[in-house]
Amino acid sequence: MRTRFLIVDDSELVRKSLRTVLQANPEWEICGEAPDGEKGIELFKELHPNIVILDFQMPGLNGIETARRMSEIAPAVPIVLFTQHASSDLEKHAREVGIRSVVSKTNAFPMVGMIEALLGPTDSEPAAADLGGSEKRQAE
Amino acid sequence: MREQEMVNILMVDDQPGKLITYEAILGELNENLIKARSGKEALDHLLKTDIAVVLMDVSMPELDGFELADMIRQHPRFQKVAIIFISAVHLTDIDRLNAYQRGAVDYIAVPIVPELLRAKVRVFADLHRKTRQLEMLNRDLRSLSARLLAMQDEERRRIARDLHDGIGPLIAALSMNNGMLAQQTKKLGPEVAEVLQQNNQLVEQLSKETRTISHLLHPPLLDEIGLLPAIKMFAEGFAERSSVKVAVELSPDIGRLPPNVEISIFRIVQECLTNVYRHSGSKTAQIKISHTPDKLLSVQVCDEGKGMTGTNGASATSGSSHGVGLSGMRERLRELGGTLEIQSGVHGTTVIAAVPVNKTMVKSI
Repeated sequence: MRTRFLIVDDSELVRKSLRTVLQANPEWEICGEAPDGEKGIELFKELHPNIVILDFQMPGLNGIETARRMSEIAPAVPIVLFTQHASSDLEKHAREVGIRSVVSKTNAFPMVGMIEALLGPTDSEPAAADLGGSEKRQAE
Repeated sequence: MREQEMVNILMVDDQPGKLITYEAILGELNENLIKARSGKEALDHLLKTDIAVVLMDVSMPELDGFELADMIRQHPRFQKVAIIFISAVHLTDIDRLNAYQRGAVDYIAVPIVPELLRAKVRVFADLHRKTRQLEMLNRDLRSLSARLLAMQDEERRRIARDLHDGIGPLIAALSMNNGMLAQQTKKLGPEVAEVLQQNNQLVEQLSKETRTISHLLHPPLLDEIGLLPAIKMFAEGFAERSSVKVAVELSPDIGRLPPNVEISIFRIVQECLTNVYRHSGSKTAQIKISHTPDKLLSVQVCDEGKGMTGTNGASATSGSSHGVGLSGMRERLRELGGTLEIQSGVHGTTVIAAVPVNKTMVKSI
C-alpha cells in the first residue's frame, strides 16, 4: 500500500513543489492538501494520512498548535514541521507536541531521506485505519 | 478674540473691601479672579480648581496667611502655585524671610501700588500658562512617540510577514527544485552539476540573508510561541553574526505575556545587544529575565565592556545623552508603567528594565 501524505501549508507554491518532490517516489501519494491548520485538522480526521508535512507560520492556528491537536487525535502518525524558521528552540517546542522532525524550507534537500527514515523500510502500512478514499482531497 | 487661555487667580482676605480693591486692580489682566474670605474657603477653591497665583493677606482670623501657605505647600499638587503675600503690619525682614521660607514668590507691603501688583501677578499668571502649555506639549509628544513606536513595530511586522509570505515560498520552491535536480546528477554533465551546486549555495545564501532581515524586523517565534524562545533565537543569531558570546538566563515560569509587553521587552533586549556590539567593545553579554518578589518582570542585559561615557561610576536613570536607543527604551517602558536603570563603569554596563506584570494577564502556551 502506498504511503499517503497530508500537506498543510498556506503557500500554493510550496504545496506544488512538495507534490513534485514527494510524488517522484512511486510509493508515495498526496491524499490531501490544506492551506491552514483548521482545515488541515479536518482533513487529518477525514483522510487518516500516514504522514503529515506541516508548515509552522500560517494564518489562524500555527504549526505547533495544529500538531498538538493532530497528535491528540492520532499520536502514531508522524508529523514533519516544514518551516522557514527552523531553530533549536522551535525544535524543542515541536518535540513537546509530538512533531517527529523539523525540516528547514530553505534547505529541503535532506527532507526525502529524513521522511524515508521516519517511515522505516517496511513501514508502509497506514498508522491509522484508512477510512478515506485513495483520491486526493483539496481543502481551500 | 482672546488667544490665550485664562488662568485662575485666587485672592484671599477676610475683609471684603480689600477683595474688591484687588479685583479692581487685577481686572484688566482678563484672567479669572476668585475671591475667598478665609483660609478654609481658599483651600476649598484650591482643591477644586487649578490655581495659577494666590494673593493673600498675612493677617487673617482662624487660619493666617503663613499657616495657609504651609498647608498649601504640603500638598504635592500645589507645590508650584505662586503665592504673593500682602501685609500692612508684618513688615520686618524676619517676616519677609518667614514668607519666602514658606515658598512665597513675593511679599508686598500696603499701601499697594496697583501697577506693580498687576505687573507681578501678570508675570506669574503667564508663567503658569506657559508651564501648562509645556506640560500639554510634553503629553502630546509622549503620546506621539508611543504611537510612532507602535507604528514602527507594526510596519516591521508587516515587512517581515511580506518577506515570509512572498519571498519565503519562492526560496523554498527553488531549494526543493534544486534538490530534485541534485538527485539526477548522474544524468547531468560535470559542468551542469557544478552550476547546480553553485545555485544551491546561492539559494542557501539568499535564504540566510532574507531570514536574518526578516528576523531582525520581527521575530516570528515571538507571536507564535512567545518571548523566551524569540529571545533565545535572537541571541543565538546575534552571537553568530557579532562573535559576542551571549549567555541567556530566562526564568521558565514567565509564560506568555500581553503582545505589547512581549514586543517591548524583545525590542529592549535587541537594542541592548546592538549597543553591546556597537559601543561597548565587550566580547560577552548576558541576558537575564526573571520575576522579582514585588511582581515585576526584571530584564537585565550586562556586558564587560568599557562602559558608557557620562555614566561611569554612577547609576544613571536619565541617559538623555545616549541617543535614540535609550530614549526609545524609556518610552516603551513608560507606556508599560516600567522603569529603566543603567549602571555603567569601567568594568561594563548593566541595563535593568523593570516591567509591572499582572499575573492574570499571563497565560501559558
